[in-house]
Amino acid sequence: MNTVTIIGSFSGEGECARAVRAVRTARIDDFHTFSPFPSHKIAAAIELPKSPSRWVALVGGIAGILTGLAVTIGTTYEWRLNAGGKPLVSWPPFIVITFELMILLGGISGFLAFLFMSGVPAFESASGYNSHFGEDRFGLVVRCTKEDADGVESMLKTAGAEEVVRGV
Amino acid sequence: MAAAPKEVIQPDFRAIDRGVLRAMEPAGRAYWIWVASCFTLVAIAAGFWLRQIYEGLGVTGLRQPVNWAVYITNFVFWVGIAHSGTLISAILFLFRTRWRTAVYRAAETMTIFAVATAGLFPLIHLGRVWFFYWLLPYPNERSLQPDFRSPLVWDAFAVSTYLTVSSLFWTMGLIPDVANAREAATGWRKKFYTIVAMGWQGTDRQWRHFSMVYLLMAGLATPLVISVHSVVSWDFAMAQLPGWHSTIFAPYFVAGAIFSGVAMVITLLVPMRKLLKLEELLTPWHFDNLAKVILLTSLIVSYSYATETFMTWYAGDPIEQMTFQMRYFGPWGWMFWMMVLCNCLIPLLLFSPRIRVNLRALWVISIFVNIGMWLERFVIIAGSLKVNTIPSQWGPYVPSITEIMITVGSFAWFLGLFSLFAKFMPIVSMTEMKEGIVWLRAALKRGYSTGA
Repeated sequence: MNTVTIIGSFSGEGECARAVRAVRTARIDDFHTFSPFPSHKIAAAIELPKSPSRWVALVGGIAGILTGLAVTIGTTYEWRLNAGGKPLVSWPPFIVITFELMILLGGISGFLAFLFMSGVPAFESASGYNSHFGEDRFGLVVRCTKEDADGVESMLKTAGAEEVVRGV
Repeated sequence: MAAAPKEVIQPDFRAIDRGVLRAMEPAGRAYWIWVASCFTLVAIAAGFWLRQIYEGLGVTGLRQPVNWAVYITNFVFWVGIAHSGTLISAILFLFRTRWRTAVYRAAETMTIFAVATAGLFPLIHLGRVWFFYWLLPYPNERSLQPDFRSPLVWDAFAVSTYLTVSSLFWTMGLIPDVANAREAATGWRKKFYTIVAMGWQGTDRQWRHFSMVYLLMAGLATPLVISVHSVVSWDFAMAQLPGWHSTIFAPYFVAGAIFSGVAMVITLLVPMRKLLKLEELLTPWHFDNLAKVILLTSLIVSYSYATETFMTWYAGDPIEQMTFQMRYFGPWGWMFWMMVLCNCLIPLLLFSPRIRVNLRALWVISIFVNIGMWLERFVIIAGSLKVNTIPSQWGPYVPSITEIMITVGSFAWFLGLFSLFAKFMPIVSMTEMKEGIVWLRAALKRGYSTGA
């Protein structure tokens, strides 16, 4: 392959975000970052769209509502028991079951969406990972052509990288 | 709220990791003696439970009319303890409250183990525990489902949902921290943390989905926590019994739950801070804020007691008035006044800023609150049953050794599980501490108050 990996290590999220912006301005899109916490500055620099996991949670929540109504109303019709002369489908108490199932299925589906979309469990290490990136350093890993490599290195250094190393 | 003092934003990221990971270093002999003692008590309590299953509920002090007493009191007490964990981890997260970062993991862990303890009590209280599945939406041989109008069925749904969603929320927050622990660990611990961290590396893709789902989970957990204790209160309020049948119960129980839960957080955190050497991360500022939550909820609880009394007088129902007269001045009146002392009067000391940051005083106050809140549930549950509508129905109740030992065992179970977690998993969230400190420093630079 005619490509190389360049790994920049930064002491702050601001420097890392600056480097991301520089790399994107140079129209290089094959990169990823590492950070010890979810950095809004880096996310804004990458211009990440909102995670679609929220739609999965919404669908889960709606499924919970429908399940709650189906279970409570359906079983009432299954066995028509007159309790105290009240209407057969006396729905106000069913709201509790419906509400709890909405939260339950919404939460479970959101969690599963998180695992699936973020690639967890991951059995392979993302390229350029270094244990310091979970501790106190922010990492930017750029994959580019050999011709662009010098330019990318200088971009990362200009943005404030403490260390820039070249991989394969 | 008071601004964050300088020492809160002092530790750099490495100091945070060092502090949390040091707490996870192999434990000494005293720790293992403590954990072994806890689980020995659990084993003894399990023996009493086995005897109760074999002999029947006759080995307890439960008799007509007092059919619900210590076991159900324990259930409500432990569900209540759980609530402050979700308040701190989810509700204060949505409000972007920065002081929560240092204490939320411990509080949330407390939630999980408290719900796991609470969930045992409805089972222990069943005479024939093997029929517990009758509460689940599972039809019997005549295809008759449980009655979904019954608050007991609501409770089964609410508590199991609460345990599931809280566990998922807790697990999510743990993943990045365990990944950090994985990098520093050696031997079997490294293998263990590698499995639990599930290959987390903190890439932008992972954080993107993490942030969204974490926010959603907090959004789901917030109404959930309010609903769970409301449902627990309806176990009583839906019944026609004087002393139980009251519309004020849901907010009153939720405030009481947060009150007792925050007290339990302080009861656990004060010794843990010292034993695990977390002084740098858990500062008096954090305790000051927790104490303010106790003070606020204490005032709400006191107001609820007063409203309940006023409504009983104002409604003019003689049977209800007799129930309350017996509650205040009957043979168990001392419990009521002890409860007032612990829940309404002693917490007033927290108006003093000096007491709020005096950890010893705060610890003692938190224990009084725990005692007071246990008594509150006992007074409401057993006290109202004891004095029924017709004096000829009144009956005595004395807890038996079985109930006492199972209660002691439940505290040992909770403390043993919490102690194991505190030593083997990150008890302070490194990820959120780092995020919080970056925010506080930036806010200070802009000249804003950092109290939020």
